[in-house]
Amino acid sequence: MTPEIKAYKRNIIIEVTTNLMFPLTLLFGLYIMIGTSGTGGGFQGGTILAAAFILYITVFGHEKGREKMPESVNALFKSLGLFLYNGAGWICVLFSLAGAQWLNMPAFWPVADFVGVAGARSFLVGYMVSVGIGLTVMAAFVSQYFDLAWKEEEEMESGER
Amino acid sequence: MIAWKIKPLTLAALMTAILLTAVSLYAVEDLPAFGDENSAVNKHIELFRVDADGLVDGLNAGVIPAEIKNKTEKMGFIKGPTCPGCQNENYPTLEEGNYKIEYIEKGTRLGGRLYTAGGWDVLINEGEIFYNEPQRYYFIEEREGKLIVYRYNWPVRVVEKTEEETAMINSVTSGLADYRGYDTMGEETVILTGALGVILLVRRRGRL
Repeated sequence: MTPEIKAYKRNIIIEVTTNLMFPLTLLFGLYIMIGTSGTGGGFQGGTILAAAFILYITVFGHEKGREKMPESVNALFKSLGLFLYNGAGWICVLFSLAGAQWLNMPAFWPVADFVGVAGARSFLVGYMVSVGIGLTVMAAFVSQYFDLAWKEEEEMESGER
Repeated sequence: MIAWKIKPLTLAALMTAILLTAVSLYAVEDLPAFGDENSAVNKHIELFRVDADGLVDGLNAGVIPAEIKNKTEKMGFIKGPTCPGCQNENYPTLEEGNYKIEYIEKGTRLGGRLYTAGGWDVLINEGEIFYNEPQRYYFIEEREGKLIVYRYNWPVRVVEKTEEETAMINSVTSGLADYRGYDTMGEETVILTGALGVILLVRRRGRL
């Protein structure tokens, strides 16, 4: 006799609170991630974004959470983040025709001409490097959470627990 | 004969992997040499200039003249508590016995730094509480009848130069993503690799 699997039980208070909190947490994560010159940075912002998704998956179950964060988007974000970081370094080499070193931000002259040498570093670090770090961290955490949730569910189905 | 049939998606994935490997190899090859004299750590910043008359003999004898000592203390590099009741002593001061002075010839290459001008290196002595080994502290150069006093020290440099060099209000971010950009790229790669490892270990097929 297999033990009765206790299905996920709805709770209106938790669901409404999560629906309210989810976009606000995402907004706060974006603020931390992009506001590099003020607070935070890529790692912290990515973790907060991941926390928003994890909260949603915990409350609504992973099938509904899948709709918010599909696997294809997750895989895309995971590698896109690293590519953004590498691209910020690579773009400097390309635009200086391999005259500048990798990640030598002022060599990105289309930006450096516009906002100045120091501003180019600030722009690339704020909008490419930090966002790249944030995307990778968020996607990595969310995908790990999904994997563990699947494992739990599979074990419950096969009656191992 | 083996017929080579590669799907377009596989080909794209292979090209992407090769490109990423090439970028990483390029980055490793392009890493600034350890102890590069032009790297930010080995640069020093100018504090002030004083007239050189009569002060050079004192420097050669191994004693910092009182004029220089007073001026550094006026700039805030003082011994003793920074607030009433605290016990912190942030800056080793220029008391006698705390430091030693060495004259370095022009063109010497020492500790990863090329001396483009001759001058006196003021080193922190071994007995100091916060620094266990002799460390470069001040650098004094004589030019056109003036003594130019520079200061080494990485934290001071970050605090004072970061806004000018990186246009960022936050010196932590400029250290993380700008001065130490290679380090952060490695950290991000570690996170990606960890996620891929969890996928390989935990995820079952047909569960996508």
